[in-house]
Amino acid sequence: MKNKITTIVLVLLATFITLGGTTSCKSKKRLAKEAAEAEYKAKVAEAVRDLTAILDDETPWTLEEKIHRVQTIKDWNLQNAEVDDLLFQVEKKLARERAQAEQEAEEARRIQEAQLQAQQPRNVLETNFSRIASASNTTQANSIINETLKLFASNNVPVLIIISQAGGFNDYDRPTTIENYLNYVKDQKVSRNKVNELKFNDDGKITEVELIKK
Amino acid sequence: MKKILAILAIVLFAGTAMAQDNLDFERKQAIDSLALEKVRDLSKYIKIVGSKETAWSEANRVIDRAEELFMINAEIGVSSINSTNIKYYKVRPYFEHLMRLNYDRVEIEWYNIEYVSDLQRQPDGTYVGVITIFQTFRGYDKEGNLAYKDTTKKDITVYVKRKETQIGGRMIGFWDVLLGDMRVKETANK
Repeated sequence: MKNKITTIVLVLLATFITLGGTTSCKSKKRLAKEAAEAEYKAKVAEAVRDLTAILDDETPWTLEEKIHRVQTIKDWNLQNAEVDDLLFQVEKKLARERAQAEQEAEEARRIQEAQLQAQQPRNVLETNFSRIASASNTTQANSIINETLKLFASNNVPVLIIISQAGGFNDYDRPTTIENYLNYVKDQKVSRNKVNELKFNDDGKITEVELIKK
Repeated sequence: MKKILAILAIVLFAGTAMAQDNLDFERKQAIDSLALEKVRDLSKYIKIVGSKETAWSEANRVIDRAEELFMINAEIGVSSINSTNIKYYKVRPYFEHLMRLNYDRVEIEWYNIEYVSDLQRQPDGTYVGVITIFQTFRGYDKEGNLAYKDTTKKDITVYVKRKETQIGGRMIGFWDVLLGDMRVKETANK
């Protein structure tokens, strides 16, 4: 009798354990599925929000940050029609932005290069004006003049001298040539003007000089 | 409509041209200074050409530059304390005379360069004024002794006119300063 009771209790216990374990396993799977679905929905919502913000230029992100964000969303592989459509639009937009940024960077580099190119002869020219003016004799001054003329396309390169910019106009002195101007500095022993603008040819030689009173 | 636009364009163009020719105080000051600067440039050229240390080729180059400062047929007066006559030379002959002066060393200085008559606008748009200068001349013989000296007051008429020229494919408006006759006013032995 005691043995029967023990057997029955054991059988019941085993049944409980078996039934209880199966039910618990099914519940965990459901919960996991629900959690995955919730996570997916959250990612879709996040992707839609971010991609829309990028499309509408409503993010403070840099171009590189936007590209990084798009890559993250792509890596999620959400396989959602709305997200895919937004990704297509955003990638097109970012490609345009990148092209524009590259164009702007190239333009900035070109301007900086041109400024550097103009700055160097400008400094050399102004230094040489002073050297000619303070030369101790004619031979020395002529030597600096010949050295300076090598920067120019010809000895007849025009030199314009602004005497006034009042009233919004450039008032000029009578135009001269670079050779005459350098000799003028030598004769007068003073450099009264500084370089305002230089123009160059394709060989990097100066083709026009605009000076302005110091 | 086209007529109205054409009239408007003419009015705007005329307005800009007038604004460029009508000088406010600051622009007038700039051309006053420019004319004075040309006279000072001339004084340097006279000093260079007068110096016996200046090479002939350099002197000739400077004479070319000096000639460009003057109006065609302008004359320069030369006086002496030894004569009451004032001799007038054209610009190049004046400088050639200066080069040939029979001294071993010459010192020429200009000072008190200033307007005696301000630049005034004439009906043709030219601004005309008179600048006075004082010149001291010292001539030394071979022994280094002072052989001759005088101080002369001279009046130079200056003409300033707005002109245009084409440079690099665009029109540039500029103020052309030209010196007229240089008249001797006084000569003194000092």
